[in-house]
Amino acid sequence: MNDAVRLDGVSKRFGPVVAVDDLSLQVPAGCIYGFLGPNGAGKTTLIRMIMSIFYPDSGRIEVLGHQNPLEVKDRLGYLPEEKGLYKKMRVAELIAYFGRLKGMDGGKARKVAAELLDRFGLGEWKESRCEALSKGMGQKVQLLGTMIHEPELVILDEPFSGLDPVNSDLMRDAVLQLRKEGKTVLFSTHIMEQAEQLCDFVMLIDKGKKVLDGELSAVRASGGQGVILDYDGDGEMLNQLPGVLRVNDAGKQAELVLEDGADPQAILAALVGKLQIRRFDLSEPSLHEIFIRAVGGESDA
Amino acid sequence: MRKIMLVAQREYLDNVRTKAFWIGILAFPLIIVLSVLVPILLAETREARTYAVVDGSGFVLQEVEEKIIARDLREVFTATTERYREGGREFEKLSEVLQTATLLYVGLEEEERGRLIELVAETAEPQAEPEGLSAKTALALPQLRTDLRKWWRQVSTKELEDLDVELLRRSYVRIETPMVDAPQAALNRMIEAGELFAYFVIGEDPVTSSEGSKYVSKNLTDRDLLNWFQRMAADVVRARRIEREGIDPEIAHWIQESLRFDARKVGKRGTEEKVETRDRARQWAPVAFVYLLWIAVFTNAQALLTNTIEEKSSRVIEVLLSSVSSFELMAGKIAGMAASGLTVVGSWVIFFFIAIVVIPEMMGASDVALGSIAADPFYMISFLVYFLTGYLFYATLLVGLGSVCNSLKESQNLMMPILIPMLVPLFAMMPIGQDPNGTLARILSFIPLFTPFVMMNRAAGPPPLWEYLVTTLLMIGSIYLATKGAAKIFRIGILMTGKPPKLGEIVKWLTLSEGVMPESQEEGAA
Repeated sequence: MNDAVRLDGVSKRFGPVVAVDDLSLQVPAGCIYGFLGPNGAGKTTLIRMIMSIFYPDSGRIEVLGHQNPLEVKDRLGYLPEEKGLYKKMRVAELIAYFGRLKGMDGGKARKVAAELLDRFGLGEWKESRCEALSKGMGQKVQLLGTMIHEPELVILDEPFSGLDPVNSDLMRDAVLQLRKEGKTVLFSTHIMEQAEQLCDFVMLIDKGKKVLDGELSAVRASGGQGVILDYDGDGEMLNQLPGVLRVNDAGKQAELVLEDGADPQAILAALVGKLQIRRFDLSEPSLHEIFIRAVGGESDA
Repeated sequence: MRKIMLVAQREYLDNVRTKAFWIGILAFPLIIVLSVLVPILLAETREARTYAVVDGSGFVLQEVEEKIIARDLREVFTATTERYREGGREFEKLSEVLQTATLLYVGLEEEERGRLIELVAETAEPQAEPEGLSAKTALALPQLRTDLRKWWRQVSTKELEDLDVELLRRSYVRIETPMVDAPQAALNRMIEAGELFAYFVIGEDPVTSSEGSKYVSKNLTDRDLLNWFQRMAADVVRARRIEREGIDPEIAHWIQESLRFDARKVGKRGTEEKVETRDRARQWAPVAFVYLLWIAVFTNAQALLTNTIEEKSSRVIEVLLSSVSSFELMAGKIAGMAASGLTVVGSWVIFFFIAIVVIPEMMGASDVALGSIAADPFYMISFLVYFLTGYLFYATLLVGLGSVCNSLKESQNLMMPILIPMLVPLFAMMPIGQDPNGTLARILSFIPLFTPFVMMNRAAGPPPLWEYLVTTLLMIGSIYLATKGAAKIFRIGILMTGKPPKLGEIVKWLTLSEGVMPESQEEGAA
């Protein structure tokens, strides 16, 4: 079993809206895989179908080698974008409950829940009611509930949205830890930078269609060459540079997309004296650029 | 199945931790205790009604007073006789006059007792050898009469209280009419000042007509005093009329006698049986059960609805759905709530049993009619079974509809079509109680929305066995269909956000095949 998830021509409609359109892809086991795309691209629907919360109208889904996703539900961990806790339940009890729903026996679930809480610095909150937790702690508890049964495949829907930097780091560490343990992590995000930092593989999706997918490095290499530029001054002149196809200007930093065969040295020479250059980095284009190029620049991602 | 049980178990524990659960358990005993205590307390704290009489006839008031004394003395003697029989200190605590009088009283026949009391109560001195008394009693009468009348005038409130009897003179206290030129004006002022509740004016010749007789009060809604005094006065006047027309009082009494039909019931083998009070009570006992059933079913189904909507708005649902199927989730919730509902209802039944069977038995009254009827296992079991079926049916409907709503407010609009039929069993309760096997009762029994309530209502009939079987099968079938339908709605609705669909759209969902999403569902595109 090399692929944790395999989709084959999967489609899903909601009335007139095609949420996912004839989509095929493979998620290799043991990697971190990112679903990237703007809001409304169909990421959540795709994830819900993998979790067998929705069923596809057509196409085949194979999860952990099983065609019937219900059979492997207990081996999956899922953290939806919209998540909540039972307010009246006690923290340890709730995490254990999620574990038991995944087939763990009661005693073991309670033991593991207590261990996890200790490990994540929530030991003293075990017997508190969930309503007493702060937002950050609540998110930790939700993550623990997703991992208590040691799932082989963890699916996170927009795990970083709404997290402060501290919790964001915590989430990232958790994802990396999971991979270290040999588990597959699949997450969706609309923030490209996060994907660039974490993912081994990515799939870009827009309007229900797969735009491109593959290993991150390969995806990026396919985009030709670019330059990352840190500067001070009026960025307007960047558009007039020779050999530059397009400029993604953020004010203090710009990404220059080069034409095939353009000479970076010539560009650097043209910049000198016009702008205060702090960094001139020859690199592969960002996922952001690749995405915009792939969907024809009309997306707001 | 294991997952359904897990969800149910969590629901149950969650419920047991709520206040509503314990309120539910305690409410019923509390209501029963209050419904017994409050009337008693009200009766005890009820103020005595003060009244005055302006008697134009010259005899009505006096004779009414005599009747009151006679009636009250009889109560007093019944109480003292009881103490005498029990013997010991309680009897010795009575005043000497009462002890002497009681010793005489207990030795008499029922008829002579009545005559004795009448003679004591009469204002006029009795003749030397009064009618209806034995020589021995007649001899004791003058002394007894003087003593008793004196005791009656002087007796303290405390002593009357100790006797623990209900006396007319304590419920209705007559105040002397002031001896002034215009007594009515004075009385009006007293009523205005709140010193007097009401006064009666008796016309000059009440035997001939009611002319000039009136009742004056500030409070005309409480007619208790009026009715009571009117009855007493009418008796007096009626006796005078009989006398004036020279009719034998016994004949007059006989003429007034109505014709009575002896009600009998045809029993199982076509034999006639006497109708007893318990049979009548049996006829109406189910009505009480219908009320309880109705309350139990709807509080629990409603609680499930609230709980579903809360769970949905707290966003736990999607996490759960990654572990359990939507059907398992729904079934678990329904089962968990059923278990907590049964706990509450079961505690009611046990309380009922204790209150009505065990306690009276402990106190020595073994054959309490109400107890043996209400504790009839047939009623108890019907009650539990119909609670379960009724709850399951309504709970499934409500949980299906509840799943599409994001707030209780939204749910209320959708619930209307269910809430209105819910009232039918309540309206039909009395007609069905009167005619448990009538056409209305039978028709309603076969409508699943009403089956549990109506069949419980008819338990006194009781309906033929085949009706029990067919309605139960229908009910089980309806629960099955409702579950399937609700599962479909639940699967779509539970992840929906935004404006809830119209009832018509929801009905359309039922026709969709598994897995297809309706057009109005926008959620997935996010």
